Amino acid sequence: MFREVLYTQWRWSTLPVILFTVAAFGIPLWAVQRAGLAAPLEADVVRMLEQVRAVGVMFPLLAAFAGVTLGALAWSPDTRGGHVYALSLPVPRWYYALLRFAAGLVLLAPVVLAVWIGGVAATAAATIPDGLYTYAGTVTLRFALSVLVSYTAAFAIASASRRTQAVIGGAVLAVIAVQVLAVMAGVNLNPIRWLMTVFSWPGPFHVFGGPWMLVDL
Amino acid sequence: MSHAIETRDLVYRAGKDFALEQVNLRVPAGAIYGFLGPNGAGKTTTIRLLLGLLRPAGGTVTVLGHAVPRDVHLPLARTGYVPERPHVYPMLRVAEAIRLHASFYPTWDQRWAGELLDLFDLDGRRPIRGLSKGEMGKLLMLLALAQRPDLLVLDEPTDGLDPVVRREVLMAVIEYVSETQATVFISSHLVHELERICNWVGVLDRGRLVAELPMQSFKNGIKRLRVQKAPAEAGDTPFVLLARESGDGLSAGEIWIVRGWQAPMQQYFEGVGATLQDVIDLDLEEGFVELLRTARSRRTRPDVS
Repeated sequence: MFREVLYTQWRWSTLPVILFTVAAFGIPLWAVQRAGLAAPLEADVVRMLEQVRAVGVMFPLLAAFAGVTLGALAWSPDTRGGHVYALSLPVPRWYYALLRFAAGLVLLAPVVLAVWIGGVAATAAATIPDGLYTYAGTVTLRFALSVLVSYTAAFAIASASRRTQAVIGGAVLAVIAVQVLAVMAGVNLNPIRWLMTVFSWPGPFHVFGGPWMLVDL
Repeated sequence: MSHAIETRDLVYRAGKDFALEQVNLRVPAGAIYGFLGPNGAGKTTTIRLLLGLLRPAGGTVTVLGHAVPRDVHLPLARTGYVPERPHVYPMLRVAEAIRLHASFYPTWDQRWAGELLDLFDLDGRRPIRGLSKGEMGKLLMLLALAQRPDLLVLDEPTDGLDPVVRREVLMAVIEYVSETQATVFISSHLVHELERICNWVGVLDRGRLVAELPMQSFKNGIKRLRVQKAPAEAGDTPFVLLARESGDGLSAGEIWIVRGWQAPMQQYFEGVGATLQDVIDLDLEEGFVELLRTARSRRTRPDVS
């Protein structure tokens, strides 16, 4: 049963999975290349780290994009069909949702693996100056957690009814509207900051924040 | 379990314009039950309630002995469903859709699925989004039948199909039922289609069940009577008087549309001083139309005969 669900999900997620996997493999290589670690002429460590950090921004972006895309794609054919097929299957709804969720996670595994392989390959081929260390495993772990968080959030929203989705969208828009009105009225109110607490510890999106250093001190 | 499907005072509301009101269905086990009704009567909504796709606002639903929607996955394992609109994933190929479907049903008969694939002349390599309406109808029927269900729920399964495909699809259902004694619940607004295959019929109109009876009673019991000197008040009739209207110009009498007619009942007319001139059989479609007309004019309670 899971194998068939996984296969069908792969059928409509093939292109994004391939593109994300290629990107995930390429970002570490790009980071090393841009930092000049592939063939360093001089050991300008600060500049190197700045470049690694700059390219490192791509990791959370890719994690967010891959997670959201696969999360939305997990449900898109069911949503288009009004969930009639899924609901008419002889399994409890939570079990079907679990199958879809797990299938999406399996499809994200190559993307995460590509980050690790790319990171290991890029750093192995680079000449790392003394005092700097490689963190392919750490970056991969953070990437995996970020993918998991963004995928779970997108999966949950995509699996919700249109009404629930509208409520979530409406709530976000309302926060923005309140913020704009507060600024216009000169009131000391910052609801967007409350919203952004999900990106600070112990918010679930905290894992996205901070520098993503493939090579660091 | 004497009834494969049973609803009690089933209520569902969708917006302000549509509601199912107090629907009491009883589908005998082993019956081929035709669920008739005009477009928009609520047939698809009722079916979705039976399968747990919608939650009722009131009443109870029991399918194959299990409460729906609470335990719906249990009857669904024994139910083949052909929805009004195709529900399979369009990006799959035919064979892939069959494999996916099969993986959910422990009773899936792969050998028979292969036979049906040949019988319906379907190519497993074809993408589903490229199937014609007829091919899609056959694929949906294959998916419903090859799981060897105890109950088939077919929502307008032949709507839009050409006569050849329609015949193939219905023949497959009839052969399966004759072999397994499965119950079939088939909705349609095509009266003649159901007349040939069903042995029970339920008629839904504007969210109300206006009749539920054996097909034979439905076919034979509805008559058009030409009555002379009809009494102003029909009083206590031995038949169900569905409608009465002035004559058609051939006579000065009245036309009565009745249900449950039997020949000895003509004594009633003698008793009230009227004369029964003629008894005319109505075909199923005429009976269906008269039934709806009467139900709408009187808005009577669901009449279970």
